[in-house]
Amino acid sequence: MTTDLAPALLEDTHLGPHAGGLYRRQNIWTGLAAGIGLGFVGWLVSHAALQGSNWGTDMVVTVTMVGWVVGFNVGVGTFNGPLRWMLGHDQSHEDELYAAGVGQGRKRYYKFCTDHKVVGTQYLALVIVLFAIGGTLAMLMRTQLITPHTDFLSANAYNAIVSVHGMCMIIATIIMVTGPFTNFIMPIMIGAKDMAFPRLNAMAFWVVFSAIPPLLATFFLGGVDAGWTTYAPLSVQAPPAMDAFSIALIVFAISVTVSGANTIVTILTMRAKGMTFGRLPIFTWASLIGAALSIYAMPALLIAFTSMISDRVTGTSFFVATQGGTGWLWENAFWIFGHPEVYIILIPPVGAMMEVAVTFARKPLFGYKVTVAGFVAISALSIMVWAHHMFTTGWAPTLAGPFMVTTEIISIPTGIIFLCLIGTLWKGRIWTRLPMYFVYLFLWNFIIGGVTGIYLSDTPADEYFHGDMFVTAHFHYTLLGGAMIAATAGLCYWFPKITGKVLNERIGKTAFWMIAIGIQVTYFGMFWEGFEGMPRRVAFYDPTFQPANDLATGGAYLLMLGWIVLLYAGINSVRNGPNATANPWHAKTLEWKVPTPVPLENFLVDPVVTSDPYGYGQPEPVGPPVVLPPHPDRELVPNISSDNPPAGGGE
Amino acid sequence: MSSDAPGVGEPPLLEPADPPVQEEPFFSRPLGKIFIIWLAMTTVGVLIGIFVPHHVMPTLLSHEATDVWRTIVLFTILAAPVAALVYSVAAYSLIAWRHRGNQDEPPEDGPPLRGNNMVTGVWLATSTVLVLVLLAWGLSVYSSDETSHPGTLVVDVTGQQWLWTFSYPGTGVNTRSLVLPINRPVEFDVTSVDVTHGFWPVALGVQVDANPGVVTVIRASPDKLGNFTVRCSQLCGLYHSFMYAPGAVVTKAKFSQWLQSQGASTTTAQAAALITKQ
Amino acid sequence: MVEEAEVSEQPPRTAGTRRGRSKPLGFAITLVVALAFFVGIGLLFHAQTYSAPAGTLVATRVGTSTVNGVSLQHVTLAFNTYPDASGTHNGVAVHPGGNSAWPTYGPTNQFQVPAHSLVTVTIRQYDSGGSLNNAWFDKVRGTVGGTATINGKVVTSINPNNVGHTFTVRGTPGTDPNFFVNVPLPLVPGDSQTDNGKYETVTFSFVSGAKGLYAWNCEFPCGTSVASFGGPMNAYGYMSGFVHVV
Repeated sequence: MTTDLAPALLEDTHLGPHAGGLYRRQNIWTGLAAGIGLGFVGWLVSHAALQGSNWGTDMVVTVTMVGWVVGFNVGVGTFNGPLRWMLGHDQSHEDELYAAGVGQGRKRYYKFCTDHKVVGTQYLALVIVLFAIGGTLAMLMRTQLITPHTDFLSANAYNAIVSVHGMCMIIATIIMVTGPFTNFIMPIMIGAKDMAFPRLNAMAFWVVFSAIPPLLATFFLGGVDAGWTTYAPLSVQAPPAMDAFSIALIVFAISVTVSGANTIVTILTMRAKGMTFGRLPIFTWASLIGAALSIYAMPALLIAFTSMISDRVTGTSFFVATQGGTGWLWENAFWIFGHPEVYIILIPPVGAMMEVAVTFARKPLFGYKVTVAGFVAISALSIMVWAHHMFTTGWAPTLAGPFMVTTEIISIPTGIIFLCLIGTLWKGRIWTRLPMYFVYLFLWNFIIGGVTGIYLSDTPADEYFHGDMFVTAHFHYTLLGGAMIAATAGLCYWFPKITGKVLNERIGKTAFWMIAIGIQVTYFGMFWEGFEGMPRRVAFYDPTFQPANDLATGGAYLLMLGWIVLLYAGINSVRNGPNATANPWHAKTLEWKVPTPVPLENFLVDPVVTSDPYGYGQPEPVGPPVVLPPHPDRELVPNISSDNPPAGGGE
Repeated sequence: MSSDAPGVGEPPLLEPADPPVQEEPFFSRPLGKIFIIWLAMTTVGVLIGIFVPHHVMPTLLSHEATDVWRTIVLFTILAAPVAALVYSVAAYSLIAWRHRGNQDEPPEDGPPLRGNNMVTGVWLATSTVLVLVLLAWGLSVYSSDETSHPGTLVVDVTGQQWLWTFSYPGTGVNTRSLVLPINRPVEFDVTSVDVTHGFWPVALGVQVDANPGVVTVIRASPDKLGNFTVRCSQLCGLYHSFMYAPGAVVTKAKFSQWLQSQGASTTTAQAAALITKQ
Repeated sequence: MVEEAEVSEQPPRTAGTRRGRSKPLGFAITLVVALAFFVGIGLLFHAQTYSAPAGTLVATRVGTSTVNGVSLQHVTLAFNTYPDASGTHNGVAVHPGGNSAWPTYGPTNQFQVPAHSLVTVTIRQYDSGGSLNNAWFDKVRGTVGGTATINGKVVTSINPNNVGHTFTVRGTPGTDPNFFVNVPLPLVPGDSQTDNGKYETVTFSFVSGAKGLYAWNCEFPCGTSVASFGGPMNAYGYMSGFVHVV
């Protein structure tokens, strides 16, 4: 950018030396210090108060973890805004500009920053770290399973790894699109300046961040030996690590609910003029629907884990049969969250991937209204299928039929999604750049994942397959092969807009093939294991399962290598790559109309939208030019930067 | 395009005006080639369904397990054409519609096909019919599994961390091996003394969780002689991997002998094996 | 058509630059860092494999013996069960590095015996106890003659309400599924929250199976939480272990 543009951009505003107040001194390090400090205080106090109590250790761990979470968020500045408002000393405009990162350069990424683009980038970094952790744990598991009795991990360590791998990946996949892309891209896509509640947005990020250390601390507190689903009463029996796990999940649930509310309000109230619901890009619809589903589902998780803490720490008996409780209560509460949760994971990435498909087939989205209806139907149905995870629990045999019906019916709107995708490809002009590669991989993987899900939805078949590796292979095909691949398509697509650099496609395509082949080999091996009758979550198995396990382990190593190569491509491109233009894909959605890097508050002038972003192949409508109101900076900073006119008109 | 049209007051163009934009028909030549790819993929899928599961599953020893196998085969056969449809269109798109020029610039736009009501309608109708077929099959198999039969042998199954024990009411036999007589329906009454386990006699094709404080029930009809393993399908802590029990489906006579070897009296053993007194 | 206004210009591509040459090195560094991370984490977890007990106790050969007309190698093993894992016993640490408040087998939980041999085990049980949660385990199973000798007296079962611990061994997947040994160990009457020197001596013999890994665990719930199977019961090394048959 040339220097005479500087005064026109909000981020170059000069702020006074006291702007921001306490924020000036707060960042992730003060957060860590305060979190460790308050956690330590909590540990001392609870240890002293409860010495000798039967519930001593559980209460101590719980109080310590709560101390950490609250302390960290106080230290990083999450509560500054609301506290100042409550004390009658609300933040001034200058304070708010400071909070949005003005004048801080790179440092704003390590602070509580309300700019949605910064929050999106912070989420992206966190997601990458979470996948690295979860992936490492997966590699440890697969290494243990190379031989039937490998002397690598003890049964305790293996179970602890299984549980954290699962939960870490679930957290990562829930936030992998709603974090980076719904935050960074969606507001620009709808023509807004930021999210509806910018402070809440930053809070949601730092709260998720603070949930991760307790999750990892479980390894040092005896390990959670109950899987990511932590069925009771095994989880009530588990070591104090389970309390840390529960706190992590409670905190995570709060964060996702809050960010879901933020997304919904943003989409409902902050769309640009002319952006009617009929012109909303499909990714925005997907974000809206995913957010609505998370508002429904996350509180169920919150209730489940709060009851768990209550059972473990205060001696209630929600889940302990000898005292009048039942493990079935846990299973129901968990799966009422757990099934909608997988659609929270799936729907936003699929929306992102549809934007990719449209741009790289150079055609409008096929069946826009039907696709939106499909997403809504999937979400609505997902609320009614949870007990298909409980077909073999013996809980309610008479309900097996109804749940089989609702579960199999979900495949109808899911089929509509496929129709939309292949309809978009139909007679398109397929531009095979890296993001499009992942779209095709999604199509391949999700069919396999979806079809094997139909096998599992059949109750008699589930009585063979439940709890074995077939189930594991099914959900990895859908979550990793489907949702994560779709998210990767979105990442490669929006990479230039977020980072300002061009992603190296040669390295990226090498990574793609390793990932694609790695997925097939690994999870085909697991389907094989499942057919043979190998249970899930075992560190030692029958020697007849060894060939299938070795196949899966070999594939897993290849898969992991592929992700490392992709990570390398990303880092290398950010450090050494050429700068990106504002609209390298010549796409039509609004985020491509703003310059790269995107200025604070995105648009200098509020855009006016006159058609949907899927006008490929249509002749440009001829009409009177849109007359924009006068603005002193218009001659200096054109806010159109693509080779296509803005959606719907104007010169 | 609009810039090419003559403006008001300008001389007419010498070249003929652009022909009106023709609506490209939704279907044209691609269908035949896609059909061939589709047919090949469907055939592969059907063959996989018929041969692969049978090859990798353990020897199935009960009526229910055989039903499971039949379900897998049926579902694969029905799913193969659907999967092949998606795959063949995707594959064809890369063969016929791929932009092969300069990859740095986007290709020209494709046709503005925003939807096709007939295609959508047929797709919805077909998928609904398919789902109904799968449901009818599944529900009928499930309801036949749940029916109780006369002459059922009842076995009490107790799961605990980390062993299975089985008792045969009326005989006083309490063992860690699950021996069953052939061609006789068996009802498992399953419970746990500590946490939730999964009672999973794999080759019998059924399973049910063992929950503390309640008794859950599952039925099976062993119809083939052979050995099998009872595994635990619900993570139950430290030695979940080792929670195995040996099982066998044997003849009536062998069953009676085995009961007696475990301490049952001759009369109760023969009664349990439904051997009528000579 | 509107001209593309590029706000950020693309710098000219430079060929054969420092950038081009450092790519393989950069990738190698990424790969090495990633592998070091995996391996480091893996080693950390591997170190957790044994919460402490010291190595494998190898059975001592004492000659040959005849069982059911077959002549077998005869070996012996001796170990103990303690009310808590603190301190030493006869100069040997009871459970090195373990949670001192938890009952434990000691001095180790890993045993090694030869295949197809007669194994005579002597256990000194120092702990108190209570009732089994499944009375099935009060019976001696899988030993030679179906009996065990407790303080000199030959028994086939004990009172299910006076159990200290059990020594229950079974095969792991891949080894003989029918191999099974269960010996209940009676409790020490009176107070024995500390190792006050009183113990019950239990001796039994069994015939080891084929080569492989066999797992043992105690089926008397002496732990915490649900069904008293938490705490030491659920943590490898205290009330669980392996018998390596070689």
